[in-house]
Amino acid sequence: MVGKNCFAIASDRRLGVQLQTVATDFQRVFKIHDKLYIGLSGLATDVQTLYQRLVFRHKLYQLREERDMKPQTFASLVSALLYEKRFGPYFCQPVIAGLGEDNEPFICTMDCIGAKELAKDFVVSGTASESLYGACESMYKPNMEPEELFETVSQALQASVDRDCLSGWGGYVLVVTPTEIQERG
Amino acid sequence: MARFDPYENNGGTCVAIAGAGYCVVAADMRLSVGYSILTRDHSKIAHLADKCVLASSGFQGDVKALQKNLAAKELVYEHNHNKKMSCPAMAQLLSNTLYYKRFFPYYAFNVLGGLDSEGKGCVFTYDAVGSYERTGYSAQGTGATLMMPVLDNQLKSPSPLLLPARDAVTPLSEAEAVDLVKDVFASATERDIYTGDKLEIVIINSSGSRRECIELRKD
Repeated sequence: MVGKNCFAIASDRRLGVQLQTVATDFQRVFKIHDKLYIGLSGLATDVQTLYQRLVFRHKLYQLREERDMKPQTFASLVSALLYEKRFGPYFCQPVIAGLGEDNEPFICTMDCIGAKELAKDFVVSGTASESLYGACESMYKPNMEPEELFETVSQALQASVDRDCLSGWGGYVLVVTPTEIQERG
Repeated sequence: MARFDPYENNGGTCVAIAGAGYCVVAADMRLSVGYSILTRDHSKIAHLADKCVLASSGFQGDVKALQKNLAAKELVYEHNHNKKMSCPAMAQLLSNTLYYKRFFPYYAFNVLGGLDSEGKGCVFTYDAVGSYERTGYSAQGTGATLMMPVLDNQLKSPSPLLLPARDAVTPLSEAEAVDLVKDVFASATERDIYTGDKLEIVIINSSGSRRECIELRKD
């Protein structure tokens, strides 16, 4: 979700196989660089493989270009990587959030074959996505300060995952501003 | 070869919220088939008794048949018992009527709202085959998954997710409940293609019932 010169990215902590819960501390939000994060929902093995591949590509980019990737560029990279597997896809829906040029917040989501969807307010993915759409749509206000954004994202996440039996077992919220990163479990 | 499908989903969302001395029942007025809109002016709400209102989303053909069926049974009850059916009695009747067609169900997702015999608001929520529960609030229909988390968050105490439920009805006032209903419908209209056009709100309290109609996004 986008705020005033900041963004928040959040996920739940459950890892399950249909109705069986396997872990309650599964990490779904990953750092690419200080101002760029990606959240991946879907098949856990694809979440981890995709993350490893993206970090690899970003490290190569850093070595060649001697700078961090812009969020828009990274989004295009993710999209291309997913479309390469068009006929045997990664079962993952990424949510990308970062601060771009002039610390302008950037968010986008994609389907599992790389169709990008840019948004100005919020993006959601996962089994509770419909509930999340409803909750975020009601609770979102433009230009929220980091503290208010944190509250809003936490409440929206909590309300939505409570109505989904496959999500839950804790939440993880990260709020990123140009000067600091706040994480709360 | 395409087999005849006896069901069709006409979309739409219904919501009800129960308060200490009132009940708010609301539904959008869009009737759709596939990606087309058939009308922007179709009421999903039926007044079954003076303090009992049914809102149903799903297949409106089955909804119409169900409403007719219930109205007839209510009339028979009135003739036999010399009084109108109370809301909890209608709730049980609806459940039995739905389960009667367990193996060829009414494709109707119902929310029954009204005042019980003590004058307190009551909301009953159903699945298509008659499983029901008295709750403080509920939403059914295509936009229900979008609305329920928001209602849980705003009406914390009567949430059916708290065990045991702290309150049977919401402590909000009638005006606050109506505003909340308008807000959740505005949000659901943004993200659900089957919800929109107009919103019909029926408010039942001790002095009777009144109806409000407000515009929603038409896209």
